[in-house]
Amino acid sequence: MKPRIAFFDFACCEGCQLQVANLGEALLDVLKLVDVVEFREVMSEKWAGPLDIAVVEGSITTKEAVERIEKIRARSRILIAYGSCATIGGVNGMKNRSPLEEIRRTVYGEHAHTFPTIATRPVDQVVKVDYYVHGCPIWPPEFIEVLQAALQGVPCFPPDHAVCVECKLNENVCLYDKGVTCLGPVTRAGCNSWCTNNGNICYGCRGLVSNPNTKGAMDVLARYRIPLELVLNKMSMYNACREQGKTP
Amino acid sequence: MSKQKLPILESEYNIRPARILKVRQLTLTEKLYEIGFPNGESLNHDPGQFVEVSIFGVGEAPISLASSPTRRGSFDLCVRNVGKVTAALHQLKAGDSIGIRGPFGRGFPVQEFVGNDLLIVAGGIGLVPLRSLIHYVLDNRREFGKVTILLGCRTPQNILFSDEIETWSSRLDLSFSCTVDKADPEWKGNVGVIASLIPGITLSRHTYAVVVGPPVMYRYVIAELLLKKIPAHRIILSLERHMKCGLGKCGHCQINNLYCCQDGPVFRYEQLRDLEEAFPR
Amino acid sequence: MRYVTIPADKMADYITALARRQKVVAPVEKGKGQFAFEPISEGREATLTYIPTILPPKKFFMPQYETLLEYDLHEGQKMQAVVELEEMVLFGVHTCDLAGIACLNTVFSDRPKDLNYLIRKNKIVIIGLECVAYCDEYASCALMNNHLPNGGYDLFLTPLGDRYIGHVNTYIGDSLVEEGGFFRDATGADFAALEEVRRRKREVFHDEVPIDLDEIPRIFAHSLRTTIWKEIGDRCLSCGNCTNVCPTCYCFDIVDKPNLDLKSGRRIRVWDSCQNERFAKIAGGESFRKERSSRKRHRFFRKFRYPVDRFGKFFCTGCGRCSRTCMARINLKETLAQLAREYV
Ligand SMILES: Cc1cc2nc3c(=O)[nH]c(=O)nc-3n(C[C@H](O)[C@H](O)[C@H](O)COP(=O)(O)OP(=O)(O)OC[C@H]3O[C@@H](n4cnc5c(N)ncnc54)[C@H](O)[C@@H]3O)c2cc1C
Ligand code: SF4
Ligand code: SF4
Ligand code: SF4
Ligand code: SF4
Ligand code: SF4
Ligand code: FES
Repeated sequence: MKPRIAFFDFACCEGCQLQVANLGEALLDVLKLVDVVEFREVMSEKWAGPLDIAVVEGSITTKEAVERIEKIRARSRILIAYGSCATIGGVNGMKNRSPLEEIRRTVYGEHAHTFPTIATRPVDQVVKVDYYVHGCPIWPPEFIEVLQAALQGVPCFPPDHAVCVECKLNENVCLYDKGVTCLGPVTRAGCNSWCTNNGNICYGCRGLVSNPNTKGAMDVLARYRIPLELVLNKMSMYNACREQGKTP
Repeated sequence: MSKQKLPILESEYNIRPARILKVRQLTLTEKLYEIGFPNGESLNHDPGQFVEVSIFGVGEAPISLASSPTRRGSFDLCVRNVGKVTAALHQLKAGDSIGIRGPFGRGFPVQEFVGNDLLIVAGGIGLVPLRSLIHYVLDNRREFGKVTILLGCRTPQNILFSDEIETWSSRLDLSFSCTVDKADPEWKGNVGVIASLIPGITLSRHTYAVVVGPPVMYRYVIAELLLKKIPAHRIILSLERHMKCGLGKCGHCQINNLYCCQDGPVFRYEQLRDLEEAFPR
Repeated sequence: MRYVTIPADKMADYITALARRQKVVAPVEKGKGQFAFEPISEGREATLTYIPTILPPKKFFMPQYETLLEYDLHEGQKMQAVVELEEMVLFGVHTCDLAGIACLNTVFSDRPKDLNYLIRKNKIVIIGLECVAYCDEYASCALMNNHLPNGGYDLFLTPLGDRYIGHVNTYIGDSLVEEGGFFRDATGADFAALEEVRRRKREVFHDEVPIDLDEIPRIFAHSLRTTIWKEIGDRCLSCGNCTNVCPTCYCFDIVDKPNLDLKSGRRIRVWDSCQNERFAKIAGGESFRKERSSRKRHRFFRKFRYPVDRFGKFFCTGCGRCSRTCMARINLKETLAQLAREYV
C-alpha cells in the first residue's frame, strides 16, 4: 500500500501549499509514490485516520492549534514541518530568531525588548518534528528532496553553509558590489539562492546558519554604511508572509 | 558538438555490487553485516583499511573492515546508525544489495608487528577496525608475542561483540581487560576511562601500541603510553575524519598536509605529533 | 614555435567565425565592473579588457555540479560511471587563470587519477590573452610569477595596440589560426613590438607584496600559531566566496540525486569549501576545524604550504579573486605582508 500523506495548515499564508500545488509535472510524479488523503489547496476530502506522513505548514498561535497539532502528531508516523512559519516560527516567531533580530539586539542593546513579540511557536516547540523544509516560501525542489528522504526512511539535514555558496556557484554579481546589503552570508543555504539569482537581496527567510559570525556581520554592515533602517524595512516586507508567498 | 555523456569503465567512482549475507544486531545502535561479492571473490584488504559503502539514492559512507583478510569469501562491517547512509543500511536485510568501493587507505603495519608484543587499546566503536587486527593476530597467533587488549566503553550496554569478548577473555594466549565510564548494577569490571588501565600493565621493550577510539581519547592514552616509554613510531593510531572520495581529492579528510583517506587512516604517532590538526583540544 | 598576428579591429569577426563552428566561451560583462566566462555567438559580446571573472575557468574543467555515475534499481543494481563533456574554445584566458588550470591539472592527474577531469580537459581548447596592465589592486600575479605566459594554452594573444600577436603552441593552435584567413605570420616589427610590451610590463609589474617567494614556505612553517589567523577568523563570515572563486580550490562533496521514482538517479559532485561549517565535521559531532581561524589558516596553507610539499608548487595564482569577493575585506596581499612582517 502506498504511504498515506496529508497536508495541514496553521497560522500562515498558505503560500507554501501553493508552491506544492504548483509543482506541476513533478508533483504528479511524486504523487505516484504516495496516497494524498487531505490537501485543502487541491481537494476537499478530509481524513481522520492514521497517516504515514503529515506535512504541516504554519506556526502554532492558539490553544486550539496546540490541540489540533497534537492530534495530528499522534496519528502520524512522520511529521514534516514546511515553510518558515512552521520551521522557525514565521511571521512573529521569526522576529526572535532572525538575523535581523540579532542585528537589532546588538544595535539597540537592552532596548530591543521594546519591539513587541507575540507568543508564536514553530511546530517543533509543540510536538516532535522529523523533517524540516525551511523558506518563505519553500523552494519546491527542496520539498521534494525532503519528501524523498522521508519515503526512504532516512534523515535529511538542510545545508549549514551560507546562501552565498549557492549564489557564487550561480555566478551572480554580489549585491555588496552593487552597494546593497544582503543577508546571504549568515543565512542557511538550500534555496539555490533563489532571490539573489533574480537580483533581489537575501532576506534571510531560511533562518540563520547554526554558527553565524554575528559580530563579523555587524562590522560588514557598518563598513558598507548600510543604513540599518533600510535593512529593517526590507526585512519587514518579509514578514508580510502572504505577499511573499508569491514567487519572488 | 553539444553536451555529451560518455561511460567511463575505469572510473574510481564505479562501485562493486555486493550482497548482504547476514545481519546481526549488536547493540541498540550497531549492526554487524557479513558482505559478499556475487562470485564469492575476496576483498583482499589489510586489517585497518576501510571501504566506501554505497546505497544508491542515499549516498556513500566510509566504514572500517571489521574482519580479517584471513577469512576468505566475505567480510564484516559493523555500522552505527547515525545519519543518512547508516540509517539506510540499518533497514537492509540479508539478501539485499549494496555497493562497495575500495578497500582504501593504509592499514596496520602487521608485517612489522611480527615477532613483537602488541598492546591494543580500543575505545567504543574503535573496536571495529581493531577487530580486523585482533582476528588477524589470532589467526596467525604464533607470529606475535604477548597480546594485551584494553577496551573502554561508555556503559556495559555499549559493548560490541560481547560474545567474542567472552572468548577473548578466557583465552590463555591473550590478556584482556575492559572498563566502562558508567557502570550499571550488574557490572563487575573496571569503572573509569580507558587511559586509567595503562599504568597498571607491564610492557616489554618490543611492544607496539595500537590505539583506536573517539577523538577525545587519543591525548590521554598517548600520554600514558609515552610514560610507559613506548617510542612514537611504535604507537599506531587510526583516525576518523569526514570523508567523501577516499581518493585524496575532495579535501574533507585532510589533517594538515596529510590525507586521512590515502596517507591513513592508520598513522604512527611520530607522523602526527607535530600536526596541529591531528588531535582536537 | 610559430607567431602570427591579427589586426585588432578584426578580432571580433575572428571570434564570430570561431563561434560559427564550435562553442566559444569568452569573458562577458555582467555589470558593476564584473565579468563572467559565458558562451557567445558573436565576437562583440566578448570583452577583451576585463578583470578576473567572478568564477574562474575552472567551472568548465570541474563544473559546479557534475554527474559521476548513473544508477537504475528497477532490475537489480544497474549503474554506470559517466563523464559529462562538451567541446569548446575558451577564449581570452589571462595568465593567472592559465596557472590555475595548470594547478588543477596537477591535482587531477596525480594518482589515483581523476578521469572525469582528465577526459573533459582534453575537449577544451584554450586561447590565452595577455594583460598589458594590472587588472586592479588585488592582483599579486607578479609575486607568484604568473604575469607572463608560461604554457598551458593552444594559442596565446598579446595586444600590441592596433594588432594582436599570437603564439601558436599546439597543433590545435595551428588550426585555430587557419580559421578564415584572419592571421598572417609575424614579422620582425611584430616581435620588436612584443618585446616593447614586455619591457614596459616589467616596469609596471613588480612583486606586489614585499616578500621573497622562496621564503614563503618557511614563513608558513612558522606561522601555524600566529594570532593573524584569529584576527581574520574573527572577521570572516564563512560565506565560502573566497574558495568558490579561487581557480585552484577543488574540494568537493558527493551526493546522490534520486529521480522522482526513487529507483533511478545520479551520484553527483558539487563544489565544497573548507570554510563551510560541516566540511570537517564527523558523525560524532566533532568538527576538526570548528574555529573560523583554523579554517582561514587551512585555506592559506592549501595555497602556500601543503601543495609546495606535495606537488612542488604554489597553489595561488595571484588572481586576487578571494580578496575582491570578500565582503569582510580579508585581503590576501595584506595577510601575506602581515605574515612576512611577523616572521622577520
Ligand atoms: C576511516 C573511517 C572508518 C569508519 N568506520 C566506521 C565503522 O566501521 N562503523 C561505523 O558505524 N562508522 C564508521 N565510520 C564513521 C562513518 O563513516 C560515519 O558515521 C558515516 O559516514 C555517517 O554517514 P551517514 O550518511 O549515515 O551520516 P550523515 O547523514 O552524513 O550524517 C552524519 C552525522 O551528522 C549529523 N548531522 C548532519 N547534518 C546535521 C544537521 N543539520 N543537524 C544535526 N546533525 C546533523 C547527523 O546527526 C549524523 O550524526 C568511519 C569513518 C571513517 C572516516
Ligand atoms: S549577493 Fe548575497 S548571497 Fe550572493 S554572494 Fe553576495 S552576499 Fe552572498
Ligand atoms: S535567497 Fe534568502 S530570502 Fe531568498 S529564498 Fe533564499 S534564504 Fe530566503
Ligand atoms: S570570502 Fe571573506 S568572509 Fe567569506 S569565507 Fe572567505 S574570508 Fe570569510
Ligand atoms: S588564493 Fe586568492 S589570489 Fe590566490 S589563486 Fe586563489 S583566489 Fe586567486
Ligand atoms: S592577476 Fe595579473 S594576470 Fe591575472 S588578470 Fe590581473 S593582471 Fe592579469
Ligand atoms: S576522503 Fe576525499 S580527500 Fe580524503
